Amino acid sequence: MERAALLERLSLPRAPIRWRTVTASEVIDETAQARTIVLDVPDWPGHAAGQHVDVRLTAEDGYQAQRSYSIASAPEDARVALTVERLEDGEVSPYLAGELRVGDEIEIRGPIGGHFTWRVQDGGPLLLIGGGSGLVPLMAMLRHRAAQGSDVEARLLLSARSLDDVFYRDELAGLDDVAIHYTLTRSRPEGWTGYARRVDAEMLAEVGAAPSERPLVFVCGPTAFVEQVADGLVALGHPPDAIHTERFGPTGS
Amino acid sequence: MSEKALWLDGNGLAGLLVEVFGAEMTAVRRRCQSCGQRHAIGSHRLYRGAGDVLRCPNCGDLALRIAALPDRHLVEVRGTWRMAVPRD
Repeated sequence: MERAALLERLSLPRAPIRWRTVTASEVIDETAQARTIVLDVPDWPGHAAGQHVDVRLTAEDGYQAQRSYSIASAPEDARVALTVERLEDGEVSPYLAGELRVGDEIEIRGPIGGHFTWRVQDGGPLLLIGGGSGLVPLMAMLRHRAAQGSDVEARLLLSARSLDDVFYRDELAGLDDVAIHYTLTRSRPEGWTGYARRVDAEMLAEVGAAPSERPLVFVCGPTAFVEQVADGLVALGHPPDAIHTERFGPTGS
Repeated sequence: MSEKALWLDGNGLAGLLVEVFGAEMTAVRRRCQSCGQRHAIGSHRLYRGAGDVLRCPNCGDLALRIAALPDRHLVEVRGTWRMAVPRD
């Protein structure tokens, strides 16, 4: 078993880590606080859904700030898309989500990460649970699944403050063969029939898939959200090894 | 639940780890010397301050410290790391 794991690691290509200067070719408003930045990346080595890139900005005085952002686009897409939510006290996100214009250049390196990834050949069922902008890497997985014409059973449970805070809403609505559940924690449209509370074990049990179906689970969101969800999943009997998590810090959903 | 949990996970350190080790490290599993459990580096707890600190997600014992100095990284590694770095 360990030998197999070692050989698998040996077969991975040497990770590309050089910084490259890339150009924003499109900017798409997702919500009042978030934008998708589409980048032209010549010689992009390709990525797996769930991976991220590091973004580096350099000020005129030489000061550099660097952050990691999940890739939103599918590996099959020609361009690399990042969706960035503006954090009020952020150093990088206010620029990316607010000031950057088409034609501007930024530095990125990647793709990076091998722990929070899914490829269609990994199979399913797939259970994706996102809090706020934690949807981004999960969306890359759904886009990859769609691009491959995969029939792997997939569910998405997304926690957001309100419907207006949900990224990619129209695209999600078009994913007919994905069971999508929203829970809106702060405000609901009139007549809302979906969930209206923080994710808990009861909600996770209703959404499924049951532990007996051995789903591959991916949870991404603020640290406290991921903790709560992972605890709930383990309480329901999901093996910890099947639960992949990615935390992006203390910003709430 | 707390909205102010001050740690991330090892996925967030993936770029720096490639810089230091020359290979993708977040899927590498590490056995903790303190509690004996094996967890992927990507699922370790990451604390970021003046330097970066990874801790075992089960017992919290120190796994890795990296301090970035102007001309080099200072790296302290603890526990059992099984890593395979591809050769060019």
